[in-house]
Amino acid sequence: MSHTTSRRGLLFGTAAVSATALLAGCTSNDSKDEKPAANDQSAADDKPGKHVTIGFAGPQADHGWLNAINDNAKSRAKKYSDVTLEITEGSNDTAAQIGQIETLINKKVDVLVVLPADGKALTQVGLKAMRAGIPVVNLDRIFNSPQAYRCWIGGDNYGMGLNAGTYIGEKLKGKSNAKVVELAGLDNLELTKQRTQGFDDALKNYPNIKKVARQAAEFTVESGQAKMAQLLQAQPKFDALWNHDDDQGVGALRAIEQAGRDDFLMVGGAGALSAFQAIKQDNGVLKATVLYPPTMAASAIDLARALGQSKGIGGLAEFEIPASLTLYSAVVDKDNVDQYMPTGFR
Amino acid sequence: MTQHASPPRDNTDKVPPVGQPPSWRGLFARADVRTLSLLGVLAALILIGGITKPDEFLDTRNLQLVLTQASVIGVVTVGMTFVITSGGIDLSVGAIVALASVWATTVATQDYGFAGVLFTAVIVGVGCGLVNGLLIAYGGMVPFIATLAMLASARGLALQITDGKTQIVTIGSILDLGERDAYVLGVPPLVIVFAVVTIIGWLILNRTTFGRRTVAVGGNAEAARLAGIDVRRQRLYLYLLSGLCCGIAAFLLIILSGSGQNTNGNLYELDAIAAAIIGGTLLSGGRGTITGSVLGVLIFTTITNIFALNNLQSDVQQIAKGAIIVAAVLVQRRTASST
Amino acid sequence: MAPEPPLLSMSGITKSFPGVRALDGVDLDVQAGEVHCLLGQNGAGKSTLIKVLAGAHQPDTGSIRWRGEEVTLRSPIAAMRLGIATIYQELDLVEHLSVAENVHLGHEPTAAGFVVRGRAARASTARLLKRLGHPEIEPARLVGQLSAAQQQIVSMARALSHDVRLIVMDEPSAALDPDEVDNLFRIVGDLTADGVAVVYISHRLEEIRRIGDRVTVLKDGRAVAGGLPAKSTPTREVVALMTGRNVEYVFPDRPASAPDGAPVLEVRGLTRRGEFEPLDLDVHPGEIVGLAGLVGSGRSEILETIYGARKADAGQVRVGGRALRSGSVRAAVRAGLGLAPEERKAQALLMLESVTRNVSVSSMSRFSRGGWIDRRSEAGAARAATRELSLRPDNPAVPVRTLSGGNQQKAVLARWLLRGCRVLLLDEPTRGVDVGARAELYAVIRRLADEGLAVLLVSSEVPEVLGLADRVLVLREGRVVHRAPARELDEHRVLDLVMEGSPAS
Repeated sequence: MSHTTSRRGLLFGTAAVSATALLAGCTSNDSKDEKPAANDQSAADDKPGKHVTIGFAGPQADHGWLNAINDNAKSRAKKYSDVTLEITEGSNDTAAQIGQIETLINKKVDVLVVLPADGKALTQVGLKAMRAGIPVVNLDRIFNSPQAYRCWIGGDNYGMGLNAGTYIGEKLKGKSNAKVVELAGLDNLELTKQRTQGFDDALKNYPNIKKVARQAAEFTVESGQAKMAQLLQAQPKFDALWNHDDDQGVGALRAIEQAGRDDFLMVGGAGALSAFQAIKQDNGVLKATVLYPPTMAASAIDLARALGQSKGIGGLAEFEIPASLTLYSAVVDKDNVDQYMPTGFR
Repeated sequence: MTQHASPPRDNTDKVPPVGQPPSWRGLFARADVRTLSLLGVLAALILIGGITKPDEFLDTRNLQLVLTQASVIGVVTVGMTFVITSGGIDLSVGAIVALASVWATTVATQDYGFAGVLFTAVIVGVGCGLVNGLLIAYGGMVPFIATLAMLASARGLALQITDGKTQIVTIGSILDLGERDAYVLGVPPLVIVFAVVTIIGWLILNRTTFGRRTVAVGGNAEAARLAGIDVRRQRLYLYLLSGLCCGIAAFLLIILSGSGQNTNGNLYELDAIAAAIIGGTLLSGGRGTITGSVLGVLIFTTITNIFALNNLQSDVQQIAKGAIIVAAVLVQRRTASST
Repeated sequence: MAPEPPLLSMSGITKSFPGVRALDGVDLDVQAGEVHCLLGQNGAGKSTLIKVLAGAHQPDTGSIRWRGEEVTLRSPIAAMRLGIATIYQELDLVEHLSVAENVHLGHEPTAAGFVVRGRAARASTARLLKRLGHPEIEPARLVGQLSAAQQQIVSMARALSHDVRLIVMDEPSAALDPDEVDNLFRIVGDLTADGVAVVYISHRLEEIRRIGDRVTVLKDGRAVAGGLPAKSTPTREVVALMTGRNVEYVFPDRPASAPDGAPVLEVRGLTRRGEFEPLDLDVHPGEIVGLAGLVGSGRSEILETIYGARKADAGQVRVGGRALRSGSVRAAVRAGLGLAPEERKAQALLMLESVTRNVSVSSMSRFSRGGWIDRRSEAGAARAATRELSLRPDNPAVPVRTLSGGNQQKAVLARWLLRGCRVLLLDEPTRGVDVGARAELYAVIRRLADEGLAVLLVSSEVPEVLGLADRVLVLREGRVVHRAPARELDEHRVLDLVMEGSPAS
């Protein structure tokens, strides 16, 4: 068992530290059972094989989900004695990320796993790696050209919306003039549009349901609270809420609690631990969440390892690893939450 | 050839004829016009809200909501108003709010309970302000650069502490302050804090030597120095004050959101600067108005509220917000120059 | 004059700003090749008039004819295209650009329409500078590194880089030393000989006598006299037109006996390398000591070093026998020093604030308890201090920027009066003050001295130092070349000392 990020040493040398050093004792984030675990079934076989060095480049982990991506990749790599993981400092700056990936190419890693800050902007460096003979596993945010990756693995944003809508549709079946509200994520991201599209498409199957309001938050607790508070004021009565993201959902739930509302059901998105716990306790509005599993990073390591060892995936007839893997956006509710609890991220 | 758009020199040198009604009344009236124009904008917004969504907008709960949402950024803006009045700028406010809110909500801090969280939030804010102030006043750094550096470092440190995770607050007494049960005669505690900070800020700026020195340093730092004011010490205090306001705001945000997150306070610097400027504080320093700043904040919050109630999407909201900033400033300039 | 129409003819120009009618039906005719002087007190409308002429302001009514044809000067560029160039008192040069770049700003010589031909620009700049008698100014140097006088030359070169027919000069001699003024006049002579007209604004009547052809006098936004002969109109008449009354430089009487007792200000060996050499100086209570010298003689630097605004390299300043910490304005103010600096607006006044707040800024602790200001006692004290100096208008609540130069200076003096200071350091106290208001200011300064203040006075106007001070120190290049009671000196003697520096003592 690995302790990935329990007690953090503080970074000295920033301007802020000198001012706040007296409080250094208070900064540790101690917690007991913090471990992002993927399902323990491996893709290929667990037996040690040829040694593989995997280069991993992701964006800055400033958000719970992205942080879980890093943790999943790290802990999965640690599981294999034949894998060395070269992980770069996360960056949201396209230029910086290109530089990091080029460094990994120059180091001649065997396989690259890349979660780009911006898929389109990093296509060129993906192509470069592929041309240098380094297979690229493209994680989640897709490159512009299929030539830039050997295998893409990622979540299904449209499917998330679709499944959330279907879940809500089934729950409200038979209720006439049902009203639904949507708390979306950052509106300038394509994935938000896709999630909303899927949600709207699903609701078309239920003529008794009408989406009466939609506001976009910014994947942050603060914005979730602010936007939800406004939505609650705007809609004195509705039956269901879909919130795109469990991180902002913390704020949304806070606003719901502050407004003293409990007359609707809420479905979340992504799969945060706090959401799972709330679903399990079943004493609030949050009844389900639609997965956008960060375990995909662990799977990406599996795929990278298999690529490095020239193996296929068990359970499939093909010799070769598929070119693309779209993960299913499962709905987690009270019935199956225990199964997913270990994959919940903070 | 560059031409200066400054007021004509002949005009400014003109002596008003003796016997004219006391000009302090004129001064007062001018300040009033500015405030009145802001109140006019606010009234127009309330009218729009009342017409488009009479039931939802004109509602006690909505008033509570708008004021609550204004509280956090409002407290930050009061501090920012002082800094801008002194001719400075503080770009680090959002980052300081983020750092203070996450430092105050770590598991270790939360072990110390309500007081521990409050103390930490305030001390972190003041500490960051101290660093800003020392760099600017005694390190000779330009405020823009020093606080930009603080913005980057504080955000980085906040990320370091949280590791990108959301820190849930588990202390009941803090969470309770954000609930309806804690409202005092219908006023949310956050709004009370906002009001108290506003009143104290107004008094300090308008009735104390500290406020006078702030205005003097912003109006003409060299003249202030030659008049015997310790300009550097004053600057240090001003950034300290801004940091203190950030610490208080961070605590309010913790109450409001029940959590600490490194993404907190996103773009607060721009919102606070915009509110202060719309309110009538000169970006070049030398004139500041707490009343105007608070009205600026309320205008922004009300706009957001009306848009949300009418289910307008973020793209429209952003466009309209920009347009309103321009319109408000233009209206003010016109009213200010026509009197 | 030739029967052809005048080069420029402005008639019935009015221009109002909120609350002020700056120009009220002004007429101005300028002939080609003449030097037309514009006279008037501050606030008379001179600046507004030349801004209208430069296209920076649009007149409300009135017409402008240029070589007989009616024109509209919609923008500074439009004025420049006609051949009207303006050299403002506050120079509008870009400090971080070179001399050549400044001269050609906006009309750079280019290749292919956009590539700046730097060498060509520098060469033509060098030609212009030579024509202006300043070949020593390097076209490639940054303007920020030049002296004020040199910057003015650059400004003039810029004007000449256009095909110019009329040059407006706004107090061009204000920042110049006598020999530089001579050069300026030579340039003006060359220009007019080429048929270029010059509109020349100045406070100094003697200059107008030397180079002027005709004079237009402005008062309260009206032209009270137009086209007077510059050489022959009696001074008394011009002053009377400007001020509306007959005024002369009147200096107050000196006290009969020299002050005795211990000096309140003692300066010993005070030095700043490169600025002034070791200086010894005493000022007694009730005494006015004058420092006479040219720009660059170290006058202002000495005052600012005594005041702690500059740190001394060596030496000591004692006030009432106690040594001051060097380089600390606060220590100086606490010990009882007060400075009325040369640049009032930039260094002394809070232009957005009321007179009251400008007066009380150095004594706030007197009106406050625990940082809380008692505004009533503050206003009362400020009113008393401004009344004592007869500051006009008699209403300290007005913004200080609405005051005339002389009254702004009184506001600065009132600040130190209120503070209860013992030593007043006055740097060019009548700079920017109307001729008519000077005498009153002199009387105020003398009265303050009579009440026991020690005054150290710096002025570039020799008559002022001689008329006001009890004792005079003559400075040349940072060194005291002569000390004498003022009554033993005359203007010629001082000017000789200042220029030649013959250490006659």
